[in-house]
Amino acid sequence: MKAFRQIGALIRKDFGLQFRSKETLVLIFVFSVLVVLIFAFAFGPIFPERVERGKLAASVLWTAFVFTGIISLNRSFALERAHGALEGIRLTGVDASNLYLSKVVSNVVFLFLLEIVITPIALQFLDLLDVVTVGILLKLFGVLSTGTLGFCAVGVLLAGMSTSANGGESLLSVILLPLVIPIIMGGAKCTVSLLVTGGLEGGFWLKLLAGYSLIFLASAYLLADAVIEE
Amino acid sequence: MRLRASQLTKDFGHRTIVKNATLSVHPGEVVTIFGPNGAGKTTLIKILATLLKPTSGKLEIEGTDAISESSDVRSALGVVIHENLAYPAFSPYENLKFFGQMYGVKQLEHRATTLLTEVGLQRFLHEPLRIFSRGMTQRFMIARALLHSPSVLLLDEPFSGLDTAARQFVLNRIAREQQNGRGIIITTHNTELGYLVGTRFLFMINGELEEVAQKDEITAETLLLTYEERLIDNAPKGL
Repeated sequence: MKAFRQIGALIRKDFGLQFRSKETLVLIFVFSVLVVLIFAFAFGPIFPERVERGKLAASVLWTAFVFTGIISLNRSFALERAHGALEGIRLTGVDASNLYLSKVVSNVVFLFLLEIVITPIALQFLDLLDVVTVGILLKLFGVLSTGTLGFCAVGVLLAGMSTSANGGESLLSVILLPLVIPIIMGGAKCTVSLLVTGGLEGGFWLKLLAGYSLIFLASAYLLADAVIEE
Repeated sequence: MRLRASQLTKDFGHRTIVKNATLSVHPGEVVTIFGPNGAGKTTLIKILATLLKPTSGKLEIEGTDAISESSDVRSALGVVIHENLAYPAFSPYENLKFFGQMYGVKQLEHRATTLLTEVGLQRFLHEPLRIFSRGMTQRFMIARALLHSPSVLLLDEPFSGLDTAARQFVLNRIAREQQNGRGIIITTHNTELGYLVGTRFLFMINGELEEVAQKDEITAETLLLTYEERLIDNAPKGL
């Protein structure tokens, strides 16, 4: 009960902070829209085939979400470190694993809300919205949320370490991206498959995506205590 | 005994910041540690607050090993350090409500309002912390430290940057918490205020703690003279 109460309070606090200043929300929204627009204007009209447009859309979506994810993670920990609030939280005796879990949940929710807004915009600009059914869109959101979970599972742990170091914001990109390659590969392949065929072709990439996400979540949860306490 | 530390040492790289520090605090006792800037006072307070792990030594808080069981003893600690330990975008009330939920404080809304009123912030309950002056922030920090009724208070330079009224407030509040039976450790380089508030005095110079005297064994003047002598003895050559 105590753990649930603390995790709930931490998530509500994260939402309160983010929606109060809206700084991060605006930043990641504008960044994502810019990525979509740049790709759409650069490549949009030259792919008449749905296959090519589907591949392009998958690239655009995952590029946008990976980089906005890094911004979101960095901002999320910068708020905690700025005035010693993270030390304040540690002083409450909260289990570091619960603190980690709350950060994963709040970052996944922020990024998933962004994905719900950005995905239709990207599909519209790449001329795919009219061929994507509601069913495909829902499956696509399923893939994106699974990928976001895996991304945040590793990202929160690494952001917790890197934001305390000098040059932490750029450090996070360097150490995070190599680790999440399986997630980006699995997510991008599933997205292409959904946008081109409407299905997931055998499900190998989905299994890879879900498997990695869960393994990362479990191992990062176990490591959280050592990382946050040290 | 509220807190007992023995032979605490903290190294950062090749530098030893705290050297074999041994101290204790009993219920109703105010231990004042005097030391110049860079003496290691803040590092010591952070070790006692379980925010930093010592390189070696032992620390017990309320009879529990605070190094291996740090999460368990933290609810016994109220801490005031140089940082806010809070969210500047939130109001003091929102901050206390959040931290109160984390601590599991009963009747939280009443407790938060009462504490903020006691520290004189009743007119600023819903203003964001980021607009607060140093003195107002210090008042908030004291309310935050007392929120969960800890048995040990660790106050790092609680008088620095405060005007006369705010200093008087901090002095009064420490005296009140002492009467409530809390064990209090204060670090300061202000011998006058430190003497006023303390019941036992230590010096910390170049990372080493030295037990000086109980309050009834020493006058303020003697304490100041002794402190100045120690500072001169330990000043870097050539100064």
